[in-house]
Amino acid sequence: MQGDRIYQLGITADLTTTNHWSYLGPDGTTWNGYVLSDTKPVLFSYSGQRFDWVPSLAADFPSPLREEVVGGRTLWSTEIELKQGVEWSDGTDVTADDFVFTAHVARDLQLTGNWPSIVDPEFFDHAEALDPYTLKIYFTKRPGLARWQFGLAFMPVLSRAYWEPVVAEARQAGDITEQQRVLYAHVPEGEPSAGGFVFDRWEQGAYAEKDRNEGFYFTGSVVTLYANGAYGEVKPGAYEFSAYGTPEGEKALEFTVGPFADSAIYSIYGSQDATVLALKKGDIDFMLNPLGLSKGLQQQLQGEDGLTTIENPSSGVRYLGFNFRKPPMDDRAFREAVATLIDKEFLTETVLQGVAIPVYTMVPEGNTAWHNGDVPMIGRGMSRAERVARAVELLKGAGFTWEVEPRMSDDGAFMEERGEGLRMPNGEPVPPMSLIAPSAGYDPLRSTFAIWIERWMNEVGIPLRADLTGFNLIVDKVFTQQDFDMWILGWGLTLFPDYLETFFHSRYSGLEGRNAGGYSNPEYDRLADDFLAETDVDAAREQVFRMQQFLAEDLPYVVLFTTPIVETFRSDRIDFPYTEILGGLQESAGLTSLVTFR
Amino acid sequence: MAGYLLRRVSQMILTLFLILTVTFVLVQAQPGDYASFYALNPDLPPDVREQMRATFGLDRPVWEQYLIHMRNTVTGNFGVSFGHFPRPVLDVLAERLPRTIVLFVSATAVSFYVGFLLGKAIAWRRGGILEYAATISGTALFTAFTPAFALMMIWIFAFRLGWLPVGKFLDPLVWRDADVSSTSVFSLMLLTAAAFLAFASLVSFASRRSQRIGGRRSAVPLLLAGALVLALAWYLSGIGNLALDILRHMILPVATLTLISFAGTMLLTRNSMLETVREDFVMAARAKGLPDAQVRDRHAARNALLPVVTSLIYSLVFAIDGSVIVESVFSWPGIGLTLLEAVRTEDLPLVMGAIVFIGFLSLLAHLVVDVLYACLDPRIRYR
Repeated sequence: MQGDRIYQLGITADLTTTNHWSYLGPDGTTWNGYVLSDTKPVLFSYSGQRFDWVPSLAADFPSPLREEVVGGRTLWSTEIELKQGVEWSDGTDVTADDFVFTAHVARDLQLTGNWPSIVDPEFFDHAEALDPYTLKIYFTKRPGLARWQFGLAFMPVLSRAYWEPVVAEARQAGDITEQQRVLYAHVPEGEPSAGGFVFDRWEQGAYAEKDRNEGFYFTGSVVTLYANGAYGEVKPGAYEFSAYGTPEGEKALEFTVGPFADSAIYSIYGSQDATVLALKKGDIDFMLNPLGLSKGLQQQLQGEDGLTTIENPSSGVRYLGFNFRKPPMDDRAFREAVATLIDKEFLTETVLQGVAIPVYTMVPEGNTAWHNGDVPMIGRGMSRAERVARAVELLKGAGFTWEVEPRMSDDGAFMEERGEGLRMPNGEPVPPMSLIAPSAGYDPLRSTFAIWIERWMNEVGIPLRADLTGFNLIVDKVFTQQDFDMWILGWGLTLFPDYLETFFHSRYSGLEGRNAGGYSNPEYDRLADDFLAETDVDAAREQVFRMQQFLAEDLPYVVLFTTPIVETFRSDRIDFPYTEILGGLQESAGLTSLVTFR
Repeated sequence: MAGYLLRRVSQMILTLFLILTVTFVLVQAQPGDYASFYALNPDLPPDVREQMRATFGLDRPVWEQYLIHMRNTVTGNFGVSFGHFPRPVLDVLAERLPRTIVLFVSATAVSFYVGFLLGKAIAWRRGGILEYAATISGTALFTAFTPAFALMMIWIFAFRLGWLPVGKFLDPLVWRDADVSSTSVFSLMLLTAAAFLAFASLVSFASRRSQRIGGRRSAVPLLLAGALVLALAWYLSGIGNLALDILRHMILPVATLTLISFAGTMLLTRNSMLETVREDFVMAARAKGLPDAQVRDRHAARNALLPVVTSLIYSLVFAIDGSVIVESVFSWPGIGLTLLEAVRTEDLPLVMGAIVFIGFLSLLAHLVVDVLYACLDPRIRYR
């Protein structure tokens, strides 16, 4: 309609579903996520920019977990009060019944994909609505943060009134596969929303549209992040909430919740080039892409009037991993020597001209709630000569010997003597090793790192050969066959860092396990187990800090770098309350409920 | 003719069998384990994976898998698309096909018409400026790198001049209040085109029958009236603006495809015409004192048409196959873009379905060409 404030976004792949069950099941694509975000209520969510864990549909934090006997079984339970007055877009109240219904459907129909990590059948027993606004959740065993606060509490709540007939039909459909198929195949029409937007239309291959939810409960709420770490949220006449300290002093960020757009339209383009042209022309306001803009496209947009380009660290890391099943990779001193010799700053700043950012811990800096900035940064700030000297010192200290010891020139400019005949502490020669990494065609950054690492290792006598190969072959060798010495790959990371357990706990070191290097340290396993069982956010944060410290010292991975995510938006038309955020604005699906218009 | 058709259909089945075999071998030959790719896809529910395993015989020897693959293909069972789960592959292809047909049939028809007209003209008047200009520009465009040329067209006409849309096949702002889907509008457009073609054929047939009583003169007004009725029907339907929006979005891709490919038809027509004009019947027509245009259009050009029609039919099939590039650049979500996405996301069932589908269309086109030959040239008789 004329005069509407329409937030126009560009995406480069079509949706595959508009069914939320399916989106969190077999159709869990990024693109579905962009469009379907902001349409369903959740008990708890992350705060803007800083990712604090805060109530959303819940009125406050949940009661502490309590052990109780129910029907002869010992269960763990928690109670949550819901905000009153939150409505679906059809005017009915969002109640505890909706949550119970959603969780029970996921459990009973054994929904797949992301559902088991949200409603974990090993932990979730059942939920009860004590009254329309009081929810009680029962777990079969004490759930850690990953299962409850950062798992089930993030479950999108679907409308019972809308979905009950569909689910009833699915339950009649035969075996569990058929039931899932019927549920996933349902195309929602007129499904109510309790988010900022109501899904309106999907014209396959062309665009999708969401309209503003006129009855969105949080419209007008003012969110304040204080410099002292406190979080405040106020909706005059409705509610007031604060956490993580006293909400006073300097404000780091303050914004009002919208939506201010009457509608959000996601236009589907066939390529990034076409999307960039549409952005330049003014057909769209913002381009959503999980990888951001490539260098070439950034250059195309440089100097264009009315456009603003922003850069944020992405929520992923590239790393070098060791196979602990083979010597000398199982020797900590050897790993530290390797880490010392890798000059990440030289590669990222000088060789790669700033297209990568060096990192030293698995939790990205932008994930402020969980990042430990005090981990040891091995080799940082050292000159080439200092690195070689330190590596030699480490190896010698561990009992390694050379036939010819490496030596730098007096001015430290070049290797005067390359190391030769390196032997392990047991006297055997260090075997020739390979470093498998993606080829330049797949990822020039990682292949560049691999080539330089080979060179630096060879200089000190470590017989390492960079083997640049296809991505699928690396995955097969590393995870399926576990037949390798060292490898370079990357991980996309979630905000809640439970991956620190799945990547490094010894229980995952079997074939197909995430701990492909076979890292096994009982002390770390204990830390990871404790973290997984922890139910207190502050205590968990301390544990995560300790785990990062441990990993940075024990070095199952040498964390190498992350890439910045570059995005551009039409600043002559729209504005965001903040643009500094881990993973960029795309990580928050383009902030549809916060974007304002000029 | 019936015997010939039977023979051709048998050959077609044999070729289809080869296509299916090659498709199977290609997919099997890719790195990694084909069976586990199907059976271990984490996006699919475990029970569905089990069903897949049974449907495709993934736990059986390769030769048995091959036989099952053939049986499934013949029965149209390509399984479900990984990327569009739980939609069957055929469902996805059927949705995308009308968009590809509308765009590429239009582009091929325009390109063929332009090429044929120019080819006819430059063969008739050799050595003129038109011949040099058309040949040089046509050849230059024919050899242009399609993605770069398409992007350049977008840059000039959509971005710099702002006359046309950047890409896609519709404008969301026009469609957001519409009650019909674009697939319905595409289907109606195809139906309209088919209805007009049928009407035009009928008028043409009738005008030829009534030639002696001067009926030919009424053909053009009749065609115009038909077109007007159809346009009026669209206008009254309330969705005419949506069809116009699609047509507006078609201008740039159709123009690009026409510019890139008209030279092929033009040069083919020219060469064919040059041979035809040396024929005795053309000389006889001239000797009878017929007007130049009539000799050119009704005697020479019609006989030169045969190889050009062959090329047209093949281009139609190639259009569907080769649409990958154009559909990507113009964000036109047809079969080509679907195939590209399926390859990108390793949606194997959809990839196999799309390849087999394109192969089948190619074979069908061959058959149509053979039949059309007989219709166009009464001298050709099949035995």
